[in-house]
Amino acid sequence: MPSLRELQVHLMDALLGAGSPPVTLLIAGPGAAAERRLGVYANTVQGNFRDALHSTYPAVWRLVGEDYFRQTAREFQRHHPSRSGDLLHCGQGFPDFLAQLHPDDGFTYLADVARLEWLIQESLLSAEHAPLDLASLARVPPAAYDGLRFELHPTLRLFESRYPALAIWEVNVGSVAEPPMIDLRSGEDRIAIVRQRLQLQFHRLSAGECFFLHAFERGECFSAAVDCGGEADAAFAASAALQRFVAAGAVVAFTSTVKT
Amino acid sequence: MPANAGIGLRAQHHLHVLSESPDVSWFEAHSENYFAEGGSHVECLSRIRSRYPLSLHGVGLSLGSTDPLNREHLANLRRVIARFEPALVSEHLSWCSAGGRFANDLLPLPYTEEALRHVGSRIAQVQDALGRQILLENVSSYLQFSASTMPEWEFVAGVAAESGCGILLDLNNVYVAAHNHEFDSREYLEGIPRRIVQEFHLAGFSRIDLDGQELLVDTHGTPVCDAVWDLYRAALRRFGNVPALIEWDTDLPNFDVLQAEARKADSLRSALHAVAA
Repeated sequence: MPSLRELQVHLMDALLGAGSPPVTLLIAGPGAAAERRLGVYANTVQGNFRDALHSTYPAVWRLVGEDYFRQTAREFQRHHPSRSGDLLHCGQGFPDFLAQLHPDDGFTYLADVARLEWLIQESLLSAEHAPLDLASLARVPPAAYDGLRFELHPTLRLFESRYPALAIWEVNVGSVAEPPMIDLRSGEDRIAIVRQRLQLQFHRLSAGECFFLHAFERGECFSAAVDCGGEADAAFAASAALQRFVAAGAVVAFTSTVKT
Repeated sequence: MPANAGIGLRAQHHLHVLSESPDVSWFEAHSENYFAEGGSHVECLSRIRSRYPLSLHGVGLSLGSTDPLNREHLANLRRVIARFEPALVSEHLSWCSAGGRFANDLLPLPYTEEALRHVGSRIAQVQDALGRQILLENVSSYLQFSASTMPEWEFVAGVAAESGCGILLDLNNVYVAAHNHEFDSREYLEGIPRRIVQEFHLAGFSRIDLDGQELLVDTHGTPVCDAVWDLYRAALRRFGNVPALIEWDTDLPNFDVLQAEARKADSLRSALHAVAA
């Protein structure tokens, strides 16, 4: 008799299509019936995974159609099975998987749309945070600004693409029966996604603003973030950018790196 | 938990429940659906919890797995329990992971002494980590393992005795397994000790044809069938005034259909209770 461990590993291999050990020997009843009974589980295992992937990636699903999505979901699950008891995480590697499938063809944009959808899900599920305390910021003397470290809202995610991925996403998650065609060369995306209460907001960024926020994300202080913004974009205006992101609720706290 | 029947809360119900405050005794929510740090699901459940008693029901802890207990999952569970303060916390007598890979389905165990000891000690670990007793639910199953050496009810009772957990007896699952594996569902009820059952589940199933053999599948997409209502009466007689929960997951009907199922459970329970009194 196999140990409990052996039984579970063999059954999991069979359910995920990762091998064909003589698993039917473990199951009571004639072999063909055992195979079919195992198939009932395999269908559920694949269906649950696909449904979770569909709810994370509705625009990709719509763009590629149900048949292709089912087939791709199955392949993806075979190579990247769920690693958690919570299916919300199972789609994390899907954008990279799509990028490998379509490295350089007419569907290269799909991976970017998927990346955007993953970041949207992350933003939707992240913690709330109170807005920045403007009064305490007003008390910081101008000379101390350079040493401040600004903290971004937990729901903030930065997204960049050489495709108009946000426009593609917007028309494909709406209720329009026939989404309009979008020219893949109609512009690139630099976007800050942030959620206020239950509302997602998309802020288009200049190159300077994007580098500026990335520097905050890495935990760099204000002066270093200003330098990053300026290097990316000669016209970058740091104080206007900071005001914009505070007003948008994207910057929620600060700490001083200099002891006063 | 109130003795009247509760309803399984699904995300599609959130707005209806919040806007209409329907007459429901209590709700049961899937723990994993509220693991997120924030967002609309978490916010809705917080508001629903402020109006109704709640039970949290887990589907992904993989209690029966031989992988190490997933500490992150357990920490998330602890966090949602602290956040929503449920009256009951339950998990399934099943496994869903091996070698770090998850099937995200409720897979049955072989009913052996080895598996009994293993699951018993895992449940004890979880109860220690959570600082409370959990209820364990029997699952539907579509296959049996050659290795099994005891009937399912003996395994369920043994695991409860080994770990000190309570039992969430899913009567639809008993009926489905009894049909699929040709045993007597009344014998199952007789095999479960009286005092340990703290909740019933009631749901509907589907029938599929497996080359001429009819298999029942626990799809939670239809009303509770007459035979399961009969089993519910028998369970009420044996286990007493235990609260029931109506579960519906696929092809969700209007909310009033679920309320009607809950009222039916209540009327059967009060009729029997009146007779007993």
